[in-house]
Amino acid sequence: MNLVNQKKLLVMAIYAGEIMLKNGAETYRVEDTIIRLCKSRNYPYVEAYVTPTGIFVSVDTKGQEQKDMLSSVKRIKSRNINLNKIAEVNDFSRKFVEGDMSVEKAMQQLKKIDELPSYPLYFQAFMGGIASAFVALLFGANILEFISALATSVIVTFTTKKLSESGFASFLNNIVGGSFAAFFAIIFSYLHPNIHVDKVIIGAIMVMVPGVAMTNAVRDTIMGDLVSGLARGTEALLIAISIAFGVGFVLRAWIFFNGGGIL
Amino acid sequence: MIFLLKHFLYAFTCTIGFAILFNTPKSSLIKAGFSGAIGWTVYTIANNSSPSIVFSTFAGAFFVALSGEIFAIIDKNPITVYIIPGIVPLVPGYGLYYTMRSILANDYGTAAERGSEAFMVAIAIAAALTIILSLNAYRKRRLMRIK
Repeated sequence: MNLVNQKKLLVMAIYAGEIMLKNGAETYRVEDTIIRLCKSRNYPYVEAYVTPTGIFVSVDTKGQEQKDMLSSVKRIKSRNINLNKIAEVNDFSRKFVEGDMSVEKAMQQLKKIDELPSYPLYFQAFMGGIASAFVALLFGANILEFISALATSVIVTFTTKKLSESGFASFLNNIVGGSFAAFFAIIFSYLHPNIHVDKVIIGAIMVMVPGVAMTNAVRDTIMGDLVSGLARGTEALLIAISIAFGVGFVLRAWIFFNGGGIL
Repeated sequence: MIFLLKHFLYAFTCTIGFAILFNTPKSSLIKAGFSGAIGWTVYTIANNSSPSIVFSTFAGAFFVALSGEIFAIIDKNPITVYIIPGIVPLVPGYGLYYTMRSILANDYGTAAERGSEAFMVAIAIAAALTIILSLNAYRKRRLMRIK
């Protein structure tokens, strides 16, 4: 195997890792995939170091010659969750390791995976509404609160998804989402005395709550990936603070205009 | 019993909703819904018989991970596909909201109480997932050795 091929393989493995990491895979899974992809084509030495913000990989062939060692760094700037792409890359890596696919063909397949469409935005917004409304039901909401949580959350999901598509920082998206949730919950609470602001807001913010980042942070820390744990923990904290800021800002303003005493 | 069935259905629908938000592949949607619903039902049962919300969440997340692992082995998908939507109903959004509200009301004592409870719930979920995943990693290592 000549050096050009080695380089192509390394680039391909990093690309696979990048797709997984960008779409919310755990760091240990990304490391595992990169190591497997490289080892399947005769690299006895592979070292991968993955954090939520970047991938570092070194590969080497057998022997003492220093020129064979290759390293590459990939910076990851944005992260969201797309489980479909993770499953596809997982499938792809199994096929690549077991069969003898050429690196060029592998690269084409990865490009195809990277461009897979997600569910349409309107459908996502609607399902976000359904999900939030049923969370509200789980916490004991009545039918009127169910409907208001649905309506509020459709708006919130649509807005946050649209904002993040336009490339705004997630801190800003969540502030907007949180304040929309509180704002519409307050409006609905004026329509009928049986609608309580709490239940509607809890349902609506559930689509933004950093559950995945929170549990992944603790999990990475337990498994010894301390740097990833810290990075994900910071992400979770940042999201939680931005939601609380958005909701709290609107609620505070409402208390101010009402003359206090709603809590 | 009807109460549990109702909660099972609610959690099932809600998990599928989140699964679509997270772009779960179409073939795994129903299974993800089942693992979320099983987890929430266990959580409800545990919650009725024990006063500790942290323990109930641990039990719920344990069953989410267990069923997710089984589905993952059957379908040869990464377990992430099933557990990420499945744990969302257990995530302490409720605790976070009340923490924020207590801070708004200048009631820092309650805020600390609610906040630390939310944190413990997050740790309980992660611990349950870690236990199941480590057991599965051990199983895979043993299979490799036998081969």
